[in-house]
Amino acid sequence: MLFFIVFIPLVASAALWAMDKDSVAPVRSIALGGTGLCLLFSVFLLFGFESENNGMQFVAGLTWVESLNINLKFGIDGISLWLVILTAFLGVIAVIYSTSQKNDQQREFLALLLALETGILGVFVSLDTISFYVFWELMLIPSYFIIGLWGEGNRIYATTKFVLFTLVGSLLMLVAILALTLEYHTATHEWSFDIDTLSHMHLDDGTQLWMFLCFFLAFAIKVPMFPLHSWLPHAYKSCPIPALILITGAMSKAGAYGMIRFCLPLFPSAIESLALLIGACAAGGMVYGAWIAVMQKDLKSLVAYSSISHLGFIVLGIFSYNSQGVEGSVLQMVNHGIIASALFIIVGIIESKMGTRQLDKLKGMGTPMPVLYGMFMLLALAALGLPGLNGFVGEFLILAGVWTSVTLSDMAAIYVLMGGAAIVFASIYMLYMFQGAMQEKNEDLPKDLEDINCAQFGVLLPACILVVFIGLYPKPFVDRIGPSVDSALHAEKTVNLPSAEDASSHH
Amino acid sequence: MFGYGWLVLIAPLLGFLSLSCLGKRIPRSIAGYLGCATVGFAFFISLILLVHLSVLEPEERVGGAQALYTWIDSGQFHLDFAILIDPLSVFMFLIVTGVGFLIHVYSLGYMEHDPEFKRFFAYLNLFIFSMCVLVSAADFFFLIVGWALVGLASYLLIGFWRDKPSAVLAARKAFVMNVIGDVGMLVAAFMIFETFGSLSYQKVFEMAPTMFLANDMNMILITLFLLVGAFAKSAQLPLHTWLPDAMEGPTPVSALIHAATMVTAGVYLVARCHTLFELAPFTMYVIATVGIITATFAGTIAMVQTDIKRVIAYSTMSQLGYMFLAVGLGMFSFGMFHLMTHAFFKALLFLGAGSVIHSLNEEQDIRKMGGLAKAMPVTYITFLIGSLALAGFPLTSGFFSKEAIIMGAYHSEMGNILFWGLAVFTAGMTAFYTFRLFFCVFQGDLRTPDAHPHESPVTMTGPLVILGFFALAAGVLGPWVDSFLSPVFGGHAEHYQDGFLETIAVFVGLGGIMTAGLLYMVRSDKIEPIKEALAPIQEILFHKYYVDEIYDFLIVKPVKAISVFLEDMGEKKGVDFAVDQVGEQVREVSKYVSLWQSGRIRDYAVNMVAGMALVLIFVAFL
Repeated sequence: MLFFIVFIPLVASAALWAMDKDSVAPVRSIALGGTGLCLLFSVFLLFGFESENNGMQFVAGLTWVESLNINLKFGIDGISLWLVILTAFLGVIAVIYSTSQKNDQQREFLALLLALETGILGVFVSLDTISFYVFWELMLIPSYFIIGLWGEGNRIYATTKFVLFTLVGSLLMLVAILALTLEYHTATHEWSFDIDTLSHMHLDDGTQLWMFLCFFLAFAIKVPMFPLHSWLPHAYKSCPIPALILITGAMSKAGAYGMIRFCLPLFPSAIESLALLIGACAAGGMVYGAWIAVMQKDLKSLVAYSSISHLGFIVLGIFSYNSQGVEGSVLQMVNHGIIASALFIIVGIIESKMGTRQLDKLKGMGTPMPVLYGMFMLLALAALGLPGLNGFVGEFLILAGVWTSVTLSDMAAIYVLMGGAAIVFASIYMLYMFQGAMQEKNEDLPKDLEDINCAQFGVLLPACILVVFIGLYPKPFVDRIGPSVDSALHAEKTVNLPSAEDASSHH
Repeated sequence: MFGYGWLVLIAPLLGFLSLSCLGKRIPRSIAGYLGCATVGFAFFISLILLVHLSVLEPEERVGGAQALYTWIDSGQFHLDFAILIDPLSVFMFLIVTGVGFLIHVYSLGYMEHDPEFKRFFAYLNLFIFSMCVLVSAADFFFLIVGWALVGLASYLLIGFWRDKPSAVLAARKAFVMNVIGDVGMLVAAFMIFETFGSLSYQKVFEMAPTMFLANDMNMILITLFLLVGAFAKSAQLPLHTWLPDAMEGPTPVSALIHAATMVTAGVYLVARCHTLFELAPFTMYVIATVGIITATFAGTIAMVQTDIKRVIAYSTMSQLGYMFLAVGLGMFSFGMFHLMTHAFFKALLFLGAGSVIHSLNEEQDIRKMGGLAKAMPVTYITFLIGSLALAGFPLTSGFFSKEAIIMGAYHSEMGNILFWGLAVFTAGMTAFYTFRLFFCVFQGDLRTPDAHPHESPVTMTGPLVILGFFALAAGVLGPWVDSFLSPVFGGHAEHYQDGFLETIAVFVGLGGIMTAGLLYMVRSDKIEPIKEALAPIQEILFHKYYVDEIYDFLIVKPVKAISVFLEDMGEKKGVDFAVDQVGEQVREVSKYVSLWQSGRIRDYAVNMVAGMALVLIFVAFL
């Protein structure tokens, strides 16, 4: 099942390359069919998923390198379940949205987009460190070309920065992955790259610390976390919107996902010693991003900086290191994926209708466009964390987790208050954005300005429904996330290093 | 047992959903009636709840939480979506849906010609739903949900005329200030969760008295954070500046949200959590002090404002101050009683003002009004009743509720002469500005010659008459309110009798009315010098003590400046620069490194030998 989900987009991508360049309609239907099938399969996962089970489900594997026991092993738990569905969902949205726009190289663009989707999905389902790493890098290549070829503004600078940044992180991660396996080999004289197996290994504090830092840097850059975020405003600003849907909605979650999947179970002692510092960066990022967003005039960079703020919440929740906080983070990943991508779509719609996305040149679009007005308002309210909508559920759980966190205890109150400040700023910039674009009277609006069409409505509608549904009834989501988070937080350490083993065998 | 209580919430919610989502499929002619019908139905259910509660034994009336479904289950964190039906929530239901229904009906006439008639009723229904969530929440979480939703409804309705830049700005200001309050509540909720392991009222209120002594630091902090929310919502100092600006919204909105219901949520909160507040006498003292200071502060401003709605808005702030004084002094049922009478007479005054504005084609400046008594008899009479009640004229509803508070300000346990003095002084000011407004609007001659004032349609005067009746007569309900709510508050509030103090209060009130009459009816030349002497003070008061300007200077400007600074220094010259520099440096270094790569085999051989020699030396000596 998972193999289908992951590789259908890649197959579709390959099919697109093989297509005739000028056949527009088949290109569209193949791209849509590929992502649609992928979404269909991933929704089926929901029905087969056992919510009580805290282990990996739908596990499937292929041997890759037998001598080193490297496998292409896939499986999902309650954490990756939602991220897979989210990615598949955003894949469809991105394809629909991009086919509704003019693009001379539609075929190439869609092919890269689909390859990107495979990369992201692979990251979320890989249970083997090497296959995780391969998919991690696979995400990078399509996004490099998408920004570099279809981007706007200073796109080469943006994409080079993005790729170099991420590469530095991922190379560090590769070192740590290899070192981790070597440790395991020393302890057991067997090879394993299996995440689950490795996380049962007891590591001494020093080893944990440097390995943790290698992994963490890779993830923190990908998220990105303050102060490693400098690639994001450039990349987001220049990235075409359909790809941005996947990049902001799904790919930015890969970093946070990695922290939960690797850092939590593997390096508990390192987290205990570094959580305060990381918390400070995360909390600082929440306020920093939000504060800058307040005065942004370009809608795209406004949403970009608001993303930095919201991603800060997610990282802070993870390092609260208790179930509420981490569950809140996972839920918030889904929430942010839905909200931010929908907001970017709206920015795209506004830009295509008005020819600009500068706030000071926009005004009064609400009167001729009541449907967009309503949807934009709902999404802006969700983004600013209005209780009753989904953003609040995540923020509430995260801050509740932080407040009761043991690892952050000394600074918990301060971090929560910083979160509060970020929420206040969020209400300011979101209202600036929404009111600025949609309200007040504007005599200069184009006469033929029409409300959003069916395709645009269809793209935004699912987001609006989910925003309300998760806000009113988060239980089905949290119920599935909970057990997996608990098992990530309480990984049993059964495999000891040789020194400890020797000591015990002497007695 | 009270499962049908959900209907109170569901009816207006359905109204909101159908009006906002079905769009053109609902004809305009039906939309208004639909909006009214849902609220009327909710009121009807509230009446049934009232009867149902009244036939129960007093001790059975509390603790009736009705869970609908489990909202979340995360770690030790378990929450049901539940409503609490007890005397306090039903009392609030009745006010919200009752006054709300009248204001809906009034809006049928007031908003008749507005092109966005339907959207207006959708938002009003949303507000009624949110307010019912707020008052019937059975735990702190849904309290916050309701708290924020009424803030949203208020935002939507203040900014209802979205073409007006001032309305857009006022709406944003109200929303942001309320979010500050929400964050305070959020922190309080975290502390409560940490302390009690639960957010449900029942558990928290049961455990608190057994866990803490009075003035425990924990209790003080929790209650102070709750207060941030209460003060923001109820426009108490220093979070009050949004309320006067909120008058940008249509007048029925000001009547419903910014007078009768939403702004009293802070008082409701203190009454609802009285168990916690009673454990923190320090906080109670803070509440009473802020309440009376706000009452006086707003009263002074109201005396010089010239916009009819702003005068009433400041008066609302001032009356809310009285309510906080009452609950701060532990007289919870008096606070709720004043909340109720205030809902009647203040909604009446706002609706009357709306009727005046409506007939004068959106004119709001009282200096341009006058002599409307003849043209608008119903509005005139009912406005007079409302003014008398607000001024605390004997035997009107406002007299009974305010008098109980003023007596308590001196006689209750924490009361003192200062509280009492300020309360009486403010009562005098209240009488003065109320009648200043009344005389300016209805007596004398019309000062706008080309206006043609006319009485409003019956959809507007009908609610005025009904509210007028209650504003006049609701005073007799005082003892009933006290005994109905006593199971919630665990006892009765003591009604202090003191003939001497009472007489003073009454005469101060009458004095206020007389002064207003002298200044604005008689218009003697002798008072001109006094007016001139007071001009500087008037200037300060007219500018509302310059609080908006101070906030702009101290908070708004720095926030914006820092935002620009962060982008400039933090981003462009900081993070970006650092990263680009790393790239630059690597490129620089690589220039030198690339010199080694000369392409000549001889160079490589030399380097290799040198390298091996280094390694050997390294190995040999270490």
